[in-house]
Amino acid sequence: MVFANNPQEQSLALGDMLVLDLTDEKGMYMGKMLADMGARVIVVEPPEGHPARAIGPFYQDDPNSNNSLLFWYNNTNKESVTIDITTTKGSELLKDLVKRADVVLESYKPGYLDSLGIGYEVLSSINPKLVMTSLTPFGQTGPYRDLNSSDLINMAMGGPMASSGYDHLSDAPPMRCDGWIGYATGCNFGVIGTMTAVLHRDWTGKGQWVDVSIHESLSCTTEAAMPNWFYDRKVPMRQTGRHHGLAPTPSSQFITADGKLINGFDIPPRSLDRWNRLVEWMDEKEMAEGLKDDKYRDLISQGVRQGPEMDFLRDKITEFIASQPAEEIYHGAQKIRLAWAVIRSPEENLEDEHFTDDRDFFARVEHSEHGKSFTYPGHPAIFSKTPWSIRRRAPLLGEDNDNIFKNMLGLTSEDIVILRESKVV
Amino acid sequence: MAKQLPLEGVRVVDFTHIVAGPQCTRILADLGAQVIKVEHSQAMDVVRSAGGAGGGIQGEAEPYNRSGMFEYFNRNKLGINVNVLMPAGLDVIKKLISVSDIVIENFSSRVLERWGLSYEEQCEVKSDIIYASITGFGHIGRYRDYSTWGPTAQALSGLTYMSGLPGERPAGWGYSFLDHTAGYNAAIAILMALHHKNRTGEGQWLDLSQVESGMVLTGPAVLDYTTNGRPYRREGNPPGNRSNNPKVAPHNTYRCAGEDEIVDGKPRQRWCAISIFNEEEWERFCVAIGSPEWTKDLKFATNADRVKNEDELDKLIESWTSDKMPHEVMYRLQNAGVAAGAVQTNEDKIVRDPQLRSREFIQRIQHRSVDEIYETDSLPIKFSETESRIRQGSPPLGADADYILTEILGMTADEIADLSEQAAF
Repeated sequence: MVFANNPQEQSLALGDMLVLDLTDEKGMYMGKMLADMGARVIVVEPPEGHPARAIGPFYQDDPNSNNSLLFWYNNTNKESVTIDITTTKGSELLKDLVKRADVVLESYKPGYLDSLGIGYEVLSSINPKLVMTSLTPFGQTGPYRDLNSSDLINMAMGGPMASSGYDHLSDAPPMRCDGWIGYATGCNFGVIGTMTAVLHRDWTGKGQWVDVSIHESLSCTTEAAMPNWFYDRKVPMRQTGRHHGLAPTPSSQFITADGKLINGFDIPPRSLDRWNRLVEWMDEKEMAEGLKDDKYRDLISQGVRQGPEMDFLRDKITEFIASQPAEEIYHGAQKIRLAWAVIRSPEENLEDEHFTDDRDFFARVEHSEHGKSFTYPGHPAIFSKTPWSIRRRAPLLGEDNDNIFKNMLGLTSEDIVILRESKVV
Repeated sequence: MAKQLPLEGVRVVDFTHIVAGPQCTRILADLGAQVIKVEHSQAMDVVRSAGGAGGGIQGEAEPYNRSGMFEYFNRNKLGINVNVLMPAGLDVIKKLISVSDIVIENFSSRVLERWGLSYEEQCEVKSDIIYASITGFGHIGRYRDYSTWGPTAQALSGLTYMSGLPGERPAGWGYSFLDHTAGYNAAIAILMALHHKNRTGEGQWLDLSQVESGMVLTGPAVLDYTTNGRPYRREGNPPGNRSNNPKVAPHNTYRCAGEDEIVDGKPRQRWCAISIFNEEEWERFCVAIGSPEWTKDLKFATNADRVKNEDELDKLIESWTSDKMPHEVMYRLQNAGVAAGAVQTNEDKIVRDPQLRSREFIQRIQHRSVDEIYETDSLPIKFSETESRIRQGSPPLGADADYILTEILGMTADEIADLSEQAAF
């Protein structure tokens, strides 16, 4: 019970958990999810720094090891201790930490920790209640387990890219989303596996090893594509900005007066009520000319979706959207229950009061090292009893060495000097 | 002997439909939770009628028991029809909640309130219930009544914008990625809430917004704006399949030899992704492709040079890949220790991916209405001590009512007949 004396402990869902985070850029989002819900998460990083510390973007474009925004975001609430686990002394220090830990997270190549004498078998013999989660590109077993990967390679092989891209550009490649989303999807399953094992331990007292493959995590994250083959033996086609399909569907992107794009659906609306309200709205902007004809009402109530009349309606609606600013179209459409939206750039949600004020989504995080606070994206869910929170920013490199070595492992200042001089920490 | 299912003994009342909610409860069911899917013959899960989207299963059964999409997302669950709008039906639901741990739904935000099943009302029948709601915007906030589909949520979150070629419209995601991801976040939140309940005996309400499920994946982009003032919406963004962070080259998808199958009047295009992060990998890559003269050109000597001349570099690499099949490119480069991966279709993953087969990610499942065994993918997590398991196919509409009413609620035949008379089902 790490936070036993902390009055907040009862409101932190994972306030009793100590997690050692040995992951690189593939797996660090797992530890963030646990830390933001109250687990004490210690990043065990090499003395030269976690690999993500070298990946931008960087604060003020200064690429020093404490300025990576990728690292900042994915290491909130964590502590940092530097240990060279490839040294004998370093692996002893790690084992000492493992005795006290509930969970170890790691994303090294399969077999690497074993080769250092700190694989699951050794660690679980030190601490039989340990839950260890290994997140790797292809899993711990199988013919691909040693293949090299990257977020792009996993997104390619797992299937998201085969479904995503362009149909209006004839030679465009399949597309992956920027922003490490392939790894994040693996991390989601990493946390599902970790928390499942933690619950099993709550109930039985037994720890275990959890093996999560990013390739499999993405391979089941492609919606209709897999059923399309399992049940129909068909391969869907990519279409610009909208669902993959076995047959082409109408375009869903519409340019607005301010040069943004609306993602539109159900155009013209299938429901007569929504059609009437859309015409009313267009009429307010004097753009409903020719649309009030009963002919269109009849065709819509008959469920007609194709033909020159429908093309005409789509053209008129396209013109209407093009005449207004994007945010106005978005809210206007939602008010008549059309699930349209603006295609926003991520930072544009900082101005949306639903998220900023009503749901308190964004968090202010103090960076004492810069004497400033910055706004971070926040919770994946609102928990009514155990709120998500950022209680401290990501750790500076080795920031918690003294505290952890002295107070957790009982080392003296002299011990630490020797470890530092021999480059173990 | 079969290993233990970790969530055995956890019971879920499942009001979810379409993808986001069923994705979450499929995970819980795979892990051994008893998931009771509540539908009604006049209000069934709409994917039951989406025969075209996700495949049609042939056979004698009713069409709503033959939907591929329904089959894919509802395995391991039990099914019952209840008319919650009738007092006797609501009473059955309350009895179910009183013996359950979790209630989950992804209706519009006022539906359960209207039924008389707000979180507070659920607590009256089960004081420690964990209630998870999934909507586009959450139940809290001014836009709680706005409606979304996956692409709507993706557009708002920034994830649509982040996928695409620079200078072109966003390609976005070719499917409802945030239906999956909201489901993953809901599963994570529920597992964390179960741990909190194990410790304190306290349940809680978890309010999930699909848009926020995407916003949490855009952290570094938002921080670049809040700390550096640099919006993601700027020239050159998104980077397509190239890598801006870290800035390395080559890192892209490359056209390979096409397939014989004709799509839109042309052979189906095939692609392979390649990621090279350092000089060693570059040297191995050059050797693997036979060290053509251009690889020795000084303009590709260092990563900085390759980044500067990326357009030309990508064309030259494509001249090597374009007469080879994507898996041939992948194996040739992987054998040399270079990260490369075919852009795999659903067919590739299911038919010719030895990794997914060797880890038994693709499994077989007996359909419950049609006398056929179909393949399906499974949970991408391997546990050393417990397991996830495909135990049975998705429930035909209302198929498990007898079991649920007699075995779980302990009702007699007379009591059930009574409820039928009161139109509870």
